[in-house]
Amino acid sequence: MAWNEPGGNGKDQDPWGGGNRGGNQGPPDLDEAFRKLQEKLNGIFGGKGGGSSSSSGGGGVFVVALLVAFAAYIWNAVYIVDQKERAVVLRFGEYLETVTPGLHIYFPPIDSKYQENVTEFRTYNLRQQMLTEDENIVEVAMSVQYNISDLKDFILNVENPESSLEQATQSALRHVVGGSEMHQVLTEGREAMADEVRERLQSYINNYGSGINVGKINVESTSAPQEVQPAFDDVIRAREDKERSQNRAQSYANAIVPEARGEAQRLLEEAEGYRQEVIARAEGEANRFTQLLTEYRKAPEVTRQRIYLDTLQEVLGQSNKVLVDVDGGNNMMYLPLDKIMQERGGATSSGRVELDAQQIRELANQVAEDLRSRSSTSSRSGRSAQ
Amino acid sequence: MSPKSMLGVIVLALAVLVGIESLYVVSERERAVVLRFGELIEPNVQPGLHLKAPFIDKVRIFDGRLLTLDSPPERFLTQEKKALIVDSFVKWRIDNVETFYTATSGDIRRANQLLSQRVESRLRNIVGGKSLQEVVSGERDELMQAITLSLNNIARKELGVEVVDVRVKRIDLPPQVSDSVFERMRTERDKEAQEIRSQGNEQAEVIRADADRQKRVLLAEAYRDAEKLRGDGDAQSAAIYAQAYNADTEFFSFYRSMQAYKETFRKQGDIMVLDPESDFFRYLKQSEVK
Repeated sequence: MAWNEPGGNGKDQDPWGGGNRGGNQGPPDLDEAFRKLQEKLNGIFGGKGGGSSSSSGGGGVFVVALLVAFAAYIWNAVYIVDQKERAVVLRFGEYLETVTPGLHIYFPPIDSKYQENVTEFRTYNLRQQMLTEDENIVEVAMSVQYNISDLKDFILNVENPESSLEQATQSALRHVVGGSEMHQVLTEGREAMADEVRERLQSYINNYGSGINVGKINVESTSAPQEVQPAFDDVIRAREDKERSQNRAQSYANAIVPEARGEAQRLLEEAEGYRQEVIARAEGEANRFTQLLTEYRKAPEVTRQRIYLDTLQEVLGQSNKVLVDVDGGNNMMYLPLDKIMQERGGATSSGRVELDAQQIRELANQVAEDLRSRSSTSSRSGRSAQ
Repeated sequence: MSPKSMLGVIVLALAVLVGIESLYVVSERERAVVLRFGELIEPNVQPGLHLKAPFIDKVRIFDGRLLTLDSPPERFLTQEKKALIVDSFVKWRIDNVETFYTATSGDIRRANQLLSQRVESRLRNIVGGKSLQEVVSGERDELMQAITLSLNNIARKELGVEVVDVRVKRIDLPPQVSDSVFERMRTERDKEAQEIRSQGNEQAEVIRADADRQKRVLLAEAYRDAEKLRGDGDAQSAAIYAQAYNADTEFFSFYRSMQAYKETFRKQGDIMVLDPESDFFRYLKQSEVK
């Protein structure tokens, strides 16, 4: 019972008290135990009612008490070191051994034991704002994974190895960030940063001889501080905007260029069509003419006359005709052209230009003149062909 | 019998007490001195079980491990009179127990206080001689090493203390200055964002203009080629016509004119004013052969 109670009782001058300061399970206080035993014995004697034959009964109780105490002692002294653990045993304060996994016994208060999990990685998380080389402020969240590489050093050398590690981590991280530019820290520099912090940190704590091994450092996030986050986000948005406006322009380009290509192709096709059309027509017409010419040469006069008459028949057959015998009749001849025009205007289209009588008369004269000259040339040419 | 056994018990207890008083243990984690009536008789006790004169000798035990002095953040001024908040820590351990005991009477807090003042004055001197840039990103290692070394020399001599490491944990700007830094960072980002957006617009415009140009060029080239084709067609057809019509030019004129008349007067309702003297009407007036 008394042996099992961990920790000191606050007596600084106790020779073994020093071992208890770390809060570990240290050697129990011998002095205190003796006093308690004494009290107990006294109590038993007193309880017996002051009889003279008490010594034999008291001796029995004493033996039992001793046995119980011994059992308790052994119970406490035997310990198991797990596969993950190591234990450091000090004998009279001197380093005795580092215990490997298995069942072991130690002898308090001569020995003192410090048992720790050494293989398990512990984590220290850190999130802080810090200055960069270019006097910007960034927020870095980082975790350090570490375990105990040398339990002896861990126990004996440094007052509080874990807080030492934390201080060293902050120093190393700030050193590295302080030597980098913000852009570097926020973007591609993270991996290198973690490596550099690790290297630095390990060298610091090696210097302290703390027996800690830094396993891995994860730079979990590097970001701009909360105060300027919106501005940083806006930069990201700006990148998206840029992308978007480029895409829009690209889609515009994608729309009009192929259309233009199609249109261009249409122009070419039409031109090609025209080309082939005119050639084909030419060939056709030329062929027709050539064939006709062959027949014409066989009988020029008749053919010519026939063509002439056919043509005029066709032309005149479709027109309204006004026959004017200018030489034989009166010079002044009234043509009811305006009436005819009106008739036609009503029959075909109403959007005709209205002409007054004077204009129509002039027009009629002109037509008559024109027709006369034309028929005279054609007859002349017809005659010359003969 | 009873008083005798009582006496025995008392003697036993006394013996145990004296035994305990005359034995002491120094752990590997500790350093110790032994004092006899205040006089230092054992300046550096090795770890292990030791004997001393009971009730006369006093053992003073100190923590012999590496200790930390974590002083509170201090405000420093750099060379260009910019304020900085510097948070440093010192790792030290007792080196010479005797000197340590005499200088600090074994009080770790006192030792921390003495060290802290020295570290601060050194840091102040060094920071005061450097620009902000140099303090934040400069050769911190060398700086710290210099402080460690000079501090160590004095601390060893005066305090019996070995200074293992001096490090700066935080170097921050004071809150008021931070605000203006944030403001600057914000404007820098704004600038960057604006630039990116404008670049986006620029490139968009380039893409559009390029597309427009492509369209124009495509159409113009197509027009050119189309005209070439038409011209070619015209030329070929002209050649064909010419070849055919050259066989009899006069007949061609006649034939073509006839066709033209047909085409011209194709429309129903044209009015023709005719002279009955024309060839066509030759037989309209007389039927006998002239």
